[in-house]
Amino acid sequence: MLYRSSIGAAVLAAVFVAAIADVRAQEMKYPDWSGQWLRTGGIQWDPTKPLGRGQQAPLTPEYQAIFEASLADQAVGGAGNDARYSCFPVGMPRLMSVIFPMEFILSAKITYVLFENNMPRRIYTDGRSWPSDPEPTFAGYSIGKWIDEDGDSRFDVLEVETRYMKGPRTFEGTGLPLHKDNQTVVKERIHLDKSNADVLHDQITTIDHALILPWTVTKKFRRERKPSWLENDCSEDNHHVAIGKENYFLSADGYLMPTKKGQMPPDLRYFSNR
Amino acid sequence: MRRQLSALAGCAFVATSGAALAHHSFAMFDQENPIELQGVVKEFKFTSPHTFIIIETKQQDGSTQLWSLEGGAPSALVRDGWSSKTLKPGDELQLTIEPLRSGAPGGSWSVGKTKFKDGRPIMVTP
Repeated sequence: MLYRSSIGAAVLAAVFVAAIADVRAQEMKYPDWSGQWLRTGGIQWDPTKPLGRGQQAPLTPEYQAIFEASLADQAVGGAGNDARYSCFPVGMPRLMSVIFPMEFILSAKITYVLFENNMPRRIYTDGRSWPSDPEPTFAGYSIGKWIDEDGDSRFDVLEVETRYMKGPRTFEGTGLPLHKDNQTVVKERIHLDKSNADVLHDQITTIDHALILPWTVTKKFRRERKPSWLENDCSEDNHHVAIGKENYFLSADGYLMPTKKGQMPPDLRYFSNR
Repeated sequence: MRRQLSALAGCAFVATSGAALAHHSFAMFDQENPIELQGVVKEFKFTSPHTFIIIETKQQDGSTQLWSLEGGAPSALVRDGWSSKTLKPGDELQLTIEPLRSGAPGGSWSVGKTKFKDGRPIMVTP
């Protein structure tokens, strides 16, 4: 009896050690993307170009007109196409502008991208295929594949494709639009810089019917190894108020103020005690 | 280590101007026509998604007016050494703000363009 128990214990220990070894081997395969990643450029989509028209986005004539209308509205104090002022989700690909920092959690089957003021992205790396008819989300459905480009038995690049987004979405705060059909496909290559492990690159190609050709930009992020994280919940104290097609601003004492010159107050037709 | 930062020097804080930190368009604020404000802090709201300075200013006729000034996110300010205790009610400030285009008493404030009324820089701990 004692002999059989000893064999059982030894087998259990061997399995346990093998499991730990396997976990460590898996960990060794993945790059170190720990810490906090901060954007290195501004808040525009293509970090090499200025906001707005300066982006020289390859828009179709129809969507260039939509963009121009957004710029014209913003020039007089409106929000244009950018609904983010009311805490509206930004979605993909704009999430990857990383206005506030992000963090990666890597595992064999899934990579999480956590944002300080947005819902997380989930990038599935378990070899699954596209679902047949998923409910669209602002962040979309992402499938990734780890690549060992230099053959050192360690992954270097995460290739990601994202589909099934909902809208409306824009590339940046100027209201640079994506197509309302939400057929966007976003392809990314995410990897550390070869000469500086504290720099991360994300090459992002957006394929969208608002564009006459795929639009590729590369975002660069810097690592903070001793980060501070704080809550950044948009619903806590947002003073921007969207009513109908207008945006207003809350005063110090909590009343609506106009944002544009000559702006009309909201339509109060359903209030009987006016 | 404490570091003295001149609020008006600003160059180290270009990235913390309202527009640069905003997660949304700041088009409602007139960035081309900033104005000067002096007043007394009534409340420093260290809230998300943006901080607010509620400041009371004196009008030419002697009456007072409350301004609601939107700034960077708390998390961004913390990374620049600010905290919820950096400003307190009663502090007298002078600021260069970007006002609402409507002319209503609101606008955006930024770290690089805010100092105490007597010219002292605002002390922060990065």
